[in-house]
Amino acid sequence: MNNLNEVWSKRFTHYMNEVQKYMRFVFTGHLALVLVFVIGAVGYQYSEWLKVVKPSFPAEWIVALIIGIILALSRPVTLLREPDQVYLLPLESKMSLYFKKALTWTFWSQIGLVSVVYIVAIPLLNTVTELSSAQIWTVLIIIILLKYLNVQIEFHYRYANRGYNVGVDKVTRAVLSILTVQSILTARFSFVILFIVLLLIYDWALVRRVKEQPIPYEHFVKLEQNRMMGFYRFANYFTDVPHLRGSIRRRSWLNFVYSIVPYSQKSTQNYLVYRTFIRTDDHFYLWVRLTAISGIVVLLVNIPIVTWIVAAALSFATTIQLKYALLSSGDFRMDRLYPVVKTQRKQAVQKVLRLFMVIQAIIVTICALGQPLFFVLPVIVIAISEVTFMMTKDPSEEY
Amino acid sequence: MTLLQLTDVTGGYTRKPVIKDLTFSIGQGELVGLIGLNGAGKSTTIKHIIGTLLPQSGEIRLNGVTLNEDIKKYRSSFSYIPETPVLYDELTLKEHLELTAMAYDIDQYTLKSRSEDLLKEFRMEKRLNWFPSHFSKGMRQKVMIMCAFLVNPQLYIIDEPFVGLDPLGIQSLLDQMDEKKKDGASILMSTHILSTAEKHCDRIILLHEGRVRAQGTMNDLRRAFNMPDATLDDLYIAMTKEQDHE
Repeated sequence: MNNLNEVWSKRFTHYMNEVQKYMRFVFTGHLALVLVFVIGAVGYQYSEWLKVVKPSFPAEWIVALIIGIILALSRPVTLLREPDQVYLLPLESKMSLYFKKALTWTFWSQIGLVSVVYIVAIPLLNTVTELSSAQIWTVLIIIILLKYLNVQIEFHYRYANRGYNVGVDKVTRAVLSILTVQSILTARFSFVILFIVLLLIYDWALVRRVKEQPIPYEHFVKLEQNRMMGFYRFANYFTDVPHLRGSIRRRSWLNFVYSIVPYSQKSTQNYLVYRTFIRTDDHFYLWVRLTAISGIVVLLVNIPIVTWIVAAALSFATTIQLKYALLSSGDFRMDRLYPVVKTQRKQAVQKVLRLFMVIQAIIVTICALGQPLFFVLPVIVIAISEVTFMMTKDPSEEY
Repeated sequence: MTLLQLTDVTGGYTRKPVIKDLTFSIGQGELVGLIGLNGAGKSTTIKHIIGTLLPQSGEIRLNGVTLNEDIKKYRSSFSYIPETPVLYDELTLKEHLELTAMAYDIDQYTLKSRSEDLLKEFRMEKRLNWFPSHFSKGMRQKVMIMCAFLVNPQLYIIDEPFVGLDPLGIQSLLDQMDEKKKDGASILMSTHILSTAEKHCDRIILLHEGRVRAQGTMNDLRRAFNMPDATLDDLYIAMTKEQDHE
């Protein structure tokens, strides 16, 4: 059935493009930088710790626990969409081909994480246990095999039970996976075979029930929607995801802020932008997050030049992201028709940003109190923000 | 006196025009219905009048000025109720009214008295502090209607107003329209509810494939189609059949 192959490959290409489009922003964003530092620091700590770790440390159990839990998280990636419930219905009997491709992709896309975690643990195993290197690599092969089984079983379970009580299945697989990994790390091979056989029987029982059932489109579509939503939400921290509507919260404890806007035609956009900024989670939490990172770094690091660079980078990031978020004009809004001057929106955004960047500067300065030259920080935060606002282009002029 | 005048307006979203050489006018105190099949160009026409699309050629004059000549006067002269409600998720009903009043330079006293009347008329008094996410489609539509009538402009532009409104809401809207008409305001309304259009509109413009197929009072239209005693439904269907023959 060529058709379904085509459906899958089209979906897959589209999905990969979508992921790549947004991952670009993620890896060039400020968080990537923070991550590099964090990984560096954690790696250093780990290698230092390995020098002093006691031989009695229960490395096998801990590695088995972490690996087992990761193995159990094997959510299938089906790329099914809502219209499929109608349009693919006549192809029900041929869908196994489609799902085979979907599960192959699920397997390959999820194998990376668990392998990396295991490889990171290898130095620990070398230090604490007496496993030979051949054994250590055999474990990796078994882990990959377990991943394959977990992916198959989770899909079959979700299919057979239409997604009900998926937690029970996850716990079952987690326990079996943990025991398998623990057994192989302690070289008890008969147990390894026993647990794997148990997993195979579990899968076989599910497959039998799968065969009696129609495809639970509703469950799989919901699963896909949640997955993509999660991805878009994540990407939205770094860039503006157009089809993601940020959730709204009243945050009435900030209502007093609105009273600084007078009632007049000149303040129309101020009235709107203050509320948009404070009540849209995406905008408000972006500011909270970046302000918090800036404050914490400044609090923990005592070297003035480093705090200046971090505060400047985060001031830049806050300003540019909020400017884009508040000025970009996607959908039609009623204020496009208002008889007010066009530049009012930009001025209003500038005003709101200025207020909240001053607050960021105050918070960062408080965190730095007592450090040498701490009074330079607020000047940097505000100056960088102002310059960023002035020098970057106005996204609303692109239309 | 002519309030809105379109002269040879051609335009659309891309180079390929959707509306072609449109010429019509709306006088003061007139209720004009814009009628046509799906894709005839009703919404495109309205988008050109409100200024979100600019004509490729031709001219639109509202209150004596084009959008380029005096944008403030042009925009203050009309209010617009879109086909699908466009609300700010982050503003409550009360804030929608307040924002609209600020934008159109309406003082706080007038805002208070007008919004009290409108809230009562559309039975939304109890929802003043609600966010739109809690509103049904009809309620969202009512918010748009209230904002438009709050402005009290010379021209109302209303795109498909009756879809999604409950019968009481439709009656309230028609009452409001009649009242504003008596005060001398003009209304341009696009709709598919032909019986209502026939009953309430002073004049009707029949759009067909981006051109004005016929316009005038019901009697003018009957003459144009050579169908005496025809209802607007009959005329509409006659126009559809014409399309089939082409």
